[in-house]
Amino acid sequence: MQFRLEKRREPSKAMIYITPVVAVVLTMVVGALIFSLIGYDGIGAVREIFLTPLTNSYKWQDLGIKAAPLIIIGTGLSIAYRANVWNIGAEGQYVIGGLAGTGIALLTYGMTGWWILPLMVLAGILGGMAYAAIPALLRTRLKVNEILTSLMLTYASVQLIYYLIRAPWKDPMGMGFPQTRLFSEAARLPTIIPGTIVHLGVPIAIVVGIIAWFIMTRSVFGYRMRVVGAAPHAARYGGFSENKTIWLAMLVSGALAGLAGVLEVAGPFQRMVPGFPTNYGFTAIIVAFLGRLNPLGVIVAGVVLAITFVGGEVAQTTIGLPNAATGIFQAMMLFFLLAGDILIKYRLRRVAPQPSVGAA
Amino acid sequence: MELVLAILITVVGASTPILIAALGELVVERSGVLNLGVEGMMLIGAIAGFVVQFHTGNPYLALLCGAAAGMAASLIFGFLTLSLSANQTATGLALTIFGTGFSALAGSSYSARPVTLMQPLFPAEFYSSPIIRVIFGYSFPVYFSFVMVVAIWYFLHKTRAGLILRAVGENDQSAHSIGYSVIGVRYLAVMFGGAMAGIAGACFPLLLTPQWAERMTAGRGWIAVALVVFASWKPFRLLGGAYLFGLVMTMELYAKAGGGPLSAVPSELWAALPYIATVVVLVLISIRRDASTNAPACLGKPFLPAN
Repeated sequence: MQFRLEKRREPSKAMIYITPVVAVVLTMVVGALIFSLIGYDGIGAVREIFLTPLTNSYKWQDLGIKAAPLIIIGTGLSIAYRANVWNIGAEGQYVIGGLAGTGIALLTYGMTGWWILPLMVLAGILGGMAYAAIPALLRTRLKVNEILTSLMLTYASVQLIYYLIRAPWKDPMGMGFPQTRLFSEAARLPTIIPGTIVHLGVPIAIVVGIIAWFIMTRSVFGYRMRVVGAAPHAARYGGFSENKTIWLAMLVSGALAGLAGVLEVAGPFQRMVPGFPTNYGFTAIIVAFLGRLNPLGVIVAGVVLAITFVGGEVAQTTIGLPNAATGIFQAMMLFFLLAGDILIKYRLRRVAPQPSVGAA
Repeated sequence: MELVLAILITVVGASTPILIAALGELVVERSGVLNLGVEGMMLIGAIAGFVVQFHTGNPYLALLCGAAAGMAASLIFGFLTLSLSANQTATGLALTIFGTGFSALAGSSYSARPVTLMQPLFPAEFYSSPIIRVIFGYSFPVYFSFVMVVAIWYFLHKTRAGLILRAVGENDQSAHSIGYSVIGVRYLAVMFGGAMAGIAGACFPLLLTPQWAERMTAGRGWIAVALVVFASWKPFRLLGGAYLFGLVMTMELYAKAGGGPLSAVPSELWAALPYIATVVVLVLISIRRDASTNAPACLGKPFLPAN
């Protein structure tokens, strides 16, 4: 028996939504198999990584605060990727956003006032935008590939953290640790549910996703992004300038990555530390794809990826699975999703075996 | 004089892995495929090379296994992008995320375990004088990288197979209509690129730091991808580019070691310099001329036969 791919008359809407689910399920099945083969408790790994965070209500708060930055960054990336603008330096924009917020927090150290947090958030957003503006400028003015520049700037931004917290921003009372002082009360993100670690960033993330969905589906901006990505020639005829679209895509994705950065430093961290870059910016790439570049999908995908993060930590303590396993599960999810993409435009047809020899 | 020689030797060591990885990516891109998974394939090659070197102490076997591991990883990319026409940019990124996770998992029980560095290719009597040492004092991968520059140039421009590969990259539909297997050629190119990235990765534990460290390639795979653009897809320019970057990275090492005028600048700036330099170089190359003119015409586009 043989299968053949046959082009569909039009892309399958159903497959757009089915394939991400199938990708997650396949990741669990194949992941269990592979991890069993290499000598770990494969079924246990899948159970701990994918199910425990959901069944154990004590883990829900962790899910919320891990999902928030992934959703915020993933939303921005989904908008940029829709327009075929490949910002993969969200991690760097997240870092600069966090640093900008830290700068405000340190400047206002010891002060009180409701205005401090909004100012930090604004600084974070502007910082992320400014850092994303570099690849945007180079791409629109000089046609420099934004993939490479945004990524290189990410590596540079991490060094900027190391420098700032080693020298000018170092905590004078930190006993030599390279980190800033703990932010004062007014510069910390409040928790919204007493007794938990769930901070204001969680509802912000959901609101960001929903607003982005409205904008992408109901506004000229959203239409522009989708048309430029799907049909660049038509977009040009329609009067949408390509450069302006690139600018918008980079600035929006940079702003949201910066927002995630400042919320993260003011929320869970409350100071700048060397471990601030936690790969949210890279994982958000998977989130954007798994969410089918649709902001509502990104909210779901952000939760799924947060489950793997939280579950990865669970599996580390309960069955001794190395933390790196999480990354493998996440990458497998993206592999299966990308493989499944072909089913949107093609369908599998069973064909009778050809009697002729040499059919490949 | 001694210092200059020492610096030269360090530059060669830093440049070699980038050059090898970039040469592989150059062939892949010439066939019309953009594989952004170089960093991931390098990490997989690095851990494979490290593990083999740790258990056998045979660096040639380690390089070979690094190549095989890199090639195996590239087949994931090849299958998704060539057989299933998945988006090349996204698949390459996925491969890098996968390689980072896979190498960290495989290496998790090997941290802080040293291996022996690869010995120079020629016997020690050969390079008793320091000047001769600069020419003959290196281990196998260094000479391999030089030979590959020439070999790839010769292959691309002087052989029939190279012509077919370029044709596939420049105009896949025509190549297909004359009867060449576009997908087949691209599979071979992607596998070659994977093997080269794997060797480049294995160079890290074998030539540079004789132990395993997570993410030990530290973005060098991405710099290799950038260098291919910088070199406008030409092997000899790649040689120059890789050595330019090797020099920048060596400056970082010397600045960190302290002493001299270099240490006046914060060490983090030196550490960031290769990445900043990559951006600057990409800018310069596009100011000089339209960088896209030399890019293979089908770069990054999936091949779907017209009928």
